[in-house]
Amino acid sequence: MTHTLSTLRAGAAALLFGASVLTAAAQPMPATIDEPVTIRFYNYNLAGAGIGKDATVEMIDSFMAANPKITVEGIPTPAPDVISIVQADVIAGNGPDIAQIIFADFSYAAENFGVPALEDIVPAEELAGHFGGLFPRGLELGRLDGKTYGLAYVFSTPVLFYNADLFRAAGLNPDAPPRTWDEVGVAANAITKATGKPGLLTGIFGPSSYDWLYQGFVKSNGGSVMSEDRKTLTFGGTESIEALTMMRGLAQSGAMPNSTSADSIEAMSTGNAGMFLITSAVQAVLLKGAKDKFELRSAPMPTFGDKPATPTNSGSALMIMTQDPVKQRAAWELMKHLTSDYGYNIITSKIGYVPLRQSTVESEEFLAPFLRDNPVMSPNIAQLQSLTPWQSFPGPNYRQIMTTMMTAAEQAVFGEGDIATLMTDAQANAQPLLP
Amino acid sequence: MTALATSSIPRRKAWLRRQPLAPWLYLAPALVLLVIWIYGPLAYAFWLSFHEWNMLPTAPRRYVGLLNYERLIRLPDMKAALWNTGIYLIGLLPLTVILPVAIAILTNELSGRWRDLYRALIFVPLIIAPVAAAAVWRWMLNVDFGIVNMALRGMGLSAVDFLKDGDTAIWTIIWITGWKLIGFSTLVISASLSNINPALIEAARMDGGTEWQITRRIRLPLLSPTIFLLVLLTILLGAQWSFAYIHVLTQGGPLGSTSNVYYLLWQFGFGSLAAGWASAAGMLLFVGFGVVAAGLIWLMNRASFHDN
Amino acid sequence: MTTDAKPRRPGDWTAHAVMIPLAFISVFPVWWMLVTSLRPLAEIYSPLPWPAAMTLENYSYATGVIPVWTMLANTMIFSIISTALQLLTAVLAAYGFARWRFFGDRVLFALVAMTWLVPFQVVMIPNYVLIAQMGLVDTLTALVLPNMASAFAILLLVQAMRSFPVEVIDAAHMDGASHWRILWRILVPNLRAPLAALSILLFISAWNEYFWPLLLTRSEDKTVIQIGIQMFLTEEGSQWGPLMAVSTLACLPVLVIYLVLQRQVIDSFVKAGLR
Repeated sequence: MTHTLSTLRAGAAALLFGASVLTAAAQPMPATIDEPVTIRFYNYNLAGAGIGKDATVEMIDSFMAANPKITVEGIPTPAPDVISIVQADVIAGNGPDIAQIIFADFSYAAENFGVPALEDIVPAEELAGHFGGLFPRGLELGRLDGKTYGLAYVFSTPVLFYNADLFRAAGLNPDAPPRTWDEVGVAANAITKATGKPGLLTGIFGPSSYDWLYQGFVKSNGGSVMSEDRKTLTFGGTESIEALTMMRGLAQSGAMPNSTSADSIEAMSTGNAGMFLITSAVQAVLLKGAKDKFELRSAPMPTFGDKPATPTNSGSALMIMTQDPVKQRAAWELMKHLTSDYGYNIITSKIGYVPLRQSTVESEEFLAPFLRDNPVMSPNIAQLQSLTPWQSFPGPNYRQIMTTMMTAAEQAVFGEGDIATLMTDAQANAQPLLP
Repeated sequence: MTALATSSIPRRKAWLRRQPLAPWLYLAPALVLLVIWIYGPLAYAFWLSFHEWNMLPTAPRRYVGLLNYERLIRLPDMKAALWNTGIYLIGLLPLTVILPVAIAILTNELSGRWRDLYRALIFVPLIIAPVAAAAVWRWMLNVDFGIVNMALRGMGLSAVDFLKDGDTAIWTIIWITGWKLIGFSTLVISASLSNINPALIEAARMDGGTEWQITRRIRLPLLSPTIFLLVLLTILLGAQWSFAYIHVLTQGGPLGSTSNVYYLLWQFGFGSLAAGWASAAGMLLFVGFGVVAAGLIWLMNRASFHDN
Repeated sequence: MTTDAKPRRPGDWTAHAVMIPLAFISVFPVWWMLVTSLRPLAEIYSPLPWPAAMTLENYSYATGVIPVWTMLANTMIFSIISTALQLLTAVLAAYGFARWRFFGDRVLFALVAMTWLVPFQVVMIPNYVLIAQMGLVDTLTALVLPNMASAFAILLLVQAMRSFPVEVIDAAHMDGASHWRILWRILVPNLRAPLAALSILLFISAWNEYFWPLLLTRSEDKTVIQIGIQMFLTEEGSQWGPLMAVSTLACLPVLVIYLVLQRQVIDSFVKAGLR
């Protein structure tokens, strides 16, 4: 009898011990912040001087006002160098607590910087409460292997801006913008013939574009860049080659010159280009340039015939990078604040990015009036329903994979040589770079 | 007449005894600093180049032998980049050596005010930030609203898309890089020029020599160490100097026609912090140009001529 | 020995004929930068070589959104200290190379020259970790520390010192002057031209540094002006007017340094005799 009891007691003790070990390992964050805490927020909007910075400062200030015990130290890190600076600091033992990471680097950051999955640190109810109301496709952007490592923060979808005046000059109807790539081709050629100006420019190529728009482009033809299990590269597939062939036709007809982002933005904003497929984030600059000079309008990303549009997101996600539970709570509170209705309202109306919440879009308190006044934004918002994630390559060589793919694609569109060979060769070269 | 030297007839015992300690003391500060900040990290990078690791303490580190080097050398764009590098270096030399020598000598004999004015004006490109210089040239060369093309059209010629045309893009970048550096070389050469004993020049003039003869027989030989230094500098650093402009203006395009070995290695090696790639890229640049440097310095030591 | 009054020579006309277009080409783009900075936003891309409607709005905007004066001050301090230290270590090291022949001097010389070839990105992270371990991230000291020696300066000064007439040195040596005294009392005062030229160039090199300050500084008011300039290149498009305004402001200190020092570069042929 005693033997069984002591066994039972030992068993119970073991269970309790095991349970406490489990809870210690999961280390959920405290429910509230009771002591003052400082968190370091690495952010690239702060590293610019303009609308992005002002809006970010406003949001951080309102957060600190609402959470007096939390101090947010905003650390400006220019966008092309975010990942280098974050990495350097993690190596030096002084990494960020929360950072704004561009999606190209998302997988790398999740793998290497000690990013906890939100499901692991946030109580399930609280998580569901915050996630409810976010576009499910938007949530998907921050997911890897079924877990959420970050929340999409400032991002946008590709928009086809067009110059209504040049449309009219070419005999096109600006109220019926091209919907498919074939129609775009026709329009672009018409504009170039009538006005001598480039009919179409895109922000697909160039180092600051990474591969986000390229992914959207090939995916809308049914192509892909890598397999679902992220173990095989597929960017040399037939659908991609088809899409590239179409684009080469445009380039060779003279309607689409190879232009850098900076040149393209300038050309469009000075009325020297017919159409421009680019992130909606540049609309403020384009609108300023168009003011009193020409009429700027926008249309959704073109499709390939009847195939569904797959607008990919650009931009960045917020990722928590601290192991300290108290700081995790503080960072999570900041994350909630920045991805709330209030946050997205500012991000959209003041910087020009896209909101992840339908409630923000419809609410009179937030975005509804702004969207009415700014019809240029509407294709962007509409495309949220079909948002497709910008996938980041896994492993330490992800950047090299992306560069290999984009170099080949640019050669395919603007250069010579058999497109299929170019892309399959590049794919074969890049495949060993996967982990 | 030899330059500064302590002895010309070494004997074994005397040689050893006379090995001076003093130069090492003078060299110590610089050497210590270079070892800490450059050679130390370089040795670390050398070791890193044989691994695949991103330097994070939590990340796994894999020994991969020469894999990083292989991957870089086999890059499809490597051949074109190497070829372009040659073009960059040859194209820069007129702007960083020949023209500045001409400017320094031509202005040297002008009256003080003109000389100072011209030299100051030639120097101006150096004071402007590289990113601003790149932007300004981009606008001036723009095919739609650029003033250079407007002038070309005004003269009845057709506009040239300087930075987007595969044939002209590299020469445009070379021009901008060189433009920025003319003042730098002119300054260095002026400094050397002013060290030439005017008595030599006067004597030659009195002997009836023409300006050109004086330049050829006196100035150029005495300037030759400085000229070699500038040639060395251009060849070793030309690819790096053009980086800022390539990066801002063409990003290696159109289609790699403005890329060079430094830019390519930057794209693949330094773009991310996959340290194995970066270190291997750095070692390739270091060793590659090191060989070139060694050759040139040997040449320089052979051919230098000092005024004594 | 100044040469302000010189008889006109026929070669002068060649000189002017060559220099005038060159001077124009050198200055015109910088003029363009200045003009753009004075243009209102709507006219930024105008091809006119002068501002049709001059405005200071770019300047007031730029100085309002970023701490321009602080950044300029930081850059100034960093550049001056950097230059001074690089000159000091270079003078000492060049003396070591130029004055003595010793075992291993060629190899050492080559090693010094080779440090030029080490791309910044290779040494960037280990240097950064070292600085971080010293707790110096985001400080001025950290900006200066890796920049205290310059291979270019050493090489230039070696060459300048080697062309110094050895008789003067020998004479001083025989009179009992120590190496140290010879360096500072005889050699350096007569190397004003290369030292002045070098100061200008090292200053500019420090002034234009971008990557190392980028890696090191974490706050706006500790950073340098190059970072400030590039803050106007944002993900949402670039603000060229303010960028050109800050660039113009950034030119001024450099121009001043040049004007002050350039006189030293001219006509400082070595004066014979001891001091």
